[in-house]
Amino acid sequence: MSYLEIDNASLGFGPYDNRTEVLTDVNLSVDENEFVAIVGFSGAGKSTLISLLAGLIQPDKGEIRIGGKVIREPSPRLGIMFQNYSLLPWLTVFENVALAVKQVFPQFTKLELQAHVEKYVAMVSLTPALGKKPSELSGGMRQRASLARTLAMQPEILLLDEPLSALDALTRAVIQDEIIRIWEDDKRTIVMITNDVDEAVLMADRIVPLTMGPSATLDDAFAVNLPRPRNRTTLNTNPEFRRLRNDISKYMVNLNEEAKALSVNETVVDLPGVMPIDFSVMPYQPAKGRRRAKFARVLDRETTFFK
Amino acid sequence: MAEKTSDKIKYRILRFLDVTGFTVFDPIVRLCFAEEPKKQLEAILKFLVIPVVFICFCVWIWWTVAPNHKTKSGEVPTPDVVYDSAVINDTFSAREKAKETDFLLEGAAREDALAGVEKQIEDNLVILAELEATLVRHEADYSKLLTARLSPLQAKLDTLKAENKEIAATNKALVAAEAEKIEAGTGTPEALIAAIRQETLAKDAGRAAESLIKDTIDVVRSDKYPPLEAARLDVNAVADKVQFLNKRVDFLTKSNRSMKVAAAKAKLLISEEKLAAATTAKVALLEAKKVTRGEASVERLEKQQYASAMTVYLQVKRSLFTVFVGFITAAAIAIPVGILCGLNPIAMACLTPLISIFKPVSPVVWLLIFQIVVGAFFPDPESHPFFLFFNSLPLIGGLGINPALIFSACTVAMCAVWPALVNTALGVASIDKDHINVARVLRLNFWERLTKIIIPSAMPLVFAGLRISLGVGWMVLIAAEALSSSDGLGKFVWDEYQNGSSFSFANIIYACFVVGIIGFFLDRMMIVLQRFVSFDDANTSL
Repeated sequence: MSYLEIDNASLGFGPYDNRTEVLTDVNLSVDENEFVAIVGFSGAGKSTLISLLAGLIQPDKGEIRIGGKVIREPSPRLGIMFQNYSLLPWLTVFENVALAVKQVFPQFTKLELQAHVEKYVAMVSLTPALGKKPSELSGGMRQRASLARTLAMQPEILLLDEPLSALDALTRAVIQDEIIRIWEDDKRTIVMITNDVDEAVLMADRIVPLTMGPSATLDDAFAVNLPRPRNRTTLNTNPEFRRLRNDISKYMVNLNEEAKALSVNETVVDLPGVMPIDFSVMPYQPAKGRRRAKFARVLDRETTFFK
Repeated sequence: MAEKTSDKIKYRILRFLDVTGFTVFDPIVRLCFAEEPKKQLEAILKFLVIPVVFICFCVWIWWTVAPNHKTKSGEVPTPDVVYDSAVINDTFSAREKAKETDFLLEGAAREDALAGVEKQIEDNLVILAELEATLVRHEADYSKLLTARLSPLQAKLDTLKAENKEIAATNKALVAAEAEKIEAGTGTPEALIAAIRQETLAKDAGRAAESLIKDTIDVVRSDKYPPLEAARLDVNAVADKVQFLNKRVDFLTKSNRSMKVAAAKAKLLISEEKLAAATTAKVALLEAKKVTRGEASVERLEKQQYASAMTVYLQVKRSLFTVFVGFITAAAIAIPVGILCGLNPIAMACLTPLISIFKPVSPVVWLLIFQIVVGAFFPDPESHPFFLFFNSLPLIGGLGINPALIFSACTVAMCAVWPALVNTALGVASIDKDHINVARVLRLNFWERLTKIIIPSAMPLVFAGLRISLGVGWMVLIAAEALSSSDGLGKFVWDEYQNGSSFSFANIIYACFVVGIIGFFLDRMMIVLQRFVSFDDANTSL
């Protein structure tokens, strides 16, 4: 029995006669301390999937289990890091992290609390910004603060909802390395949603593709057997990496084309049959002489027939 | 590179200006610290000099248009008249203060003050005599001038009157003649009618001519002779001052508290001696009664305070006190109810019809309703424990808490509660879903969720609502005070309007400016508070 399990979960929105099925028969098994990446297109239902895992919403059918127990409500054990950081804007970074720590460890004294918060903020390399409010931080710093808050709760499972999609490429690389480093120091189960195949292959043990919406489901996983630590610069020349990346990318693109083919495009219009112009049946005959010559120059000889 | 201290001071000042919203003075501060002078001068020109010029232009328009509009309360006052009325109000207030200090002076200080005041009276009387002599002289000059101008006009009027009388007589004779002719049978009705018409026309023409001259005479009479006016003003000013100084003398001698206490004590002593020397029961009883009464009156006199007449500054204090009582009541009601409405859609649905119907109701209507409803709680205001308690408190007791103040405060509260309520409900209801998710993940209980997430998130909108509430409350208060005659700026305006003295109109305009300026500072105060609470750098004010 695996640690985190999604068992035939389905979720849809809307009234019964006009239901949009977002996820249908989703199955996933995550072992303990495994790093799983879920790749999918935008709008496929990735955030819905993470919310299901976190317990923020309940599936219509099926169950989500952690260690055998069904998840019915969110808790600090399932540390979810939201796509738009969700830092409370009126609190400083320290206070934001302290709020989470106070909830999870109410028995801490003030000094212990301060030490704990500072340790995790240092882990994400954000110590100079301890006293700043989120509005004074850049996007990358906010993401790190959110990560520090989630880690400080010491959750059993880390759920990352497209954590790096709102950052520029350089910051992405830096924070990818941070996440890998933290995971290797202190192994936990991580489920990460991403839309970047390279990132998934670099960071994960297993990559699970999410098919196109609506009625998305999780397909068979791709195992990533590249040895750790993975070096970003040399990875590009590694044949295994390239095979894996190409396979996954082709698979995703195929998914997209299938989806496009399946959907009915109502804007397709039947064009009328196009025939060459037959001036012989025209009531008006071009005049002889100069005008006819002018016409002849304009109209294509192949398709125009003069009487 | 370390920050220079001058830079630190500059940035502190700039931050202060930013928080209070007076960013228009930024360039001046930067210029003082010699930062990019050309740019600052340009900014000063655009955003300080031109607006000042514009305001001077508006004042100029006021100055020129005002004297041309004659109303039944006199001319529309020009800015200098309004300024004079401000000075008069200020002097009156200063004099009341002087009288109060005099009332309370005792012993050697009192003697010195008395001597000083009496000397001032002597000096001023001398000046007064001189000025009165000048006044008499100017009056003589003026009357001579007036007769010189009026006599030709008067003569013209007399001749015209005589002419008109003659013409009237002739016409009357003509009409009579025509009537005779008709009786005699030789005349025609048309002729008679024509004659009568002519008589009426002539009469009207005559009257018109007379009234034309009378108008000219009136205009000449109403022309002011500047030296005379100036002399009158001087005499009035000094006479006024002498009267005030005499009043001061009165407060330093007869009405002085220590003097009154001393007199009462002397009387008491006499009664006590008489009591000690009493031989008969009747005398003893009488004297004993006098002694007890004397002791009571001494005690009362020692605690007596000066009953000051209402000055503008006291009324401003009272208005501010009332508006804050009303505003804090409104906030105390609106914020909890608003939070409840925001959290619970059923409560919101219950309160929405009430809010919609009572929000547009005018403060005047609320005032009248409250006067009746709340007045029933205080059938005997003088001895009600509520008022006795509040009037005995040190700071606010001096303002005189009476039912009229309660009515005004209730009206302010009733009108100011709606913006705060609606904004609080909106702020609580429109919290970012992400923050709620954070609360769910952290498993915060209801109370923690409310205090740590919902209320801080809603604070900017709550303070925006409170700011609107205070503005509305201040406007409503002036109207309520004017109607309920509760002491304050509104009552000041209403009294001036009923008064109809020469300075009333100017006083009303002066009060208009005072109300506006105080309202401006109240608004600024709320803006500063709002800035402290907001966390998203949004614009908070104009």
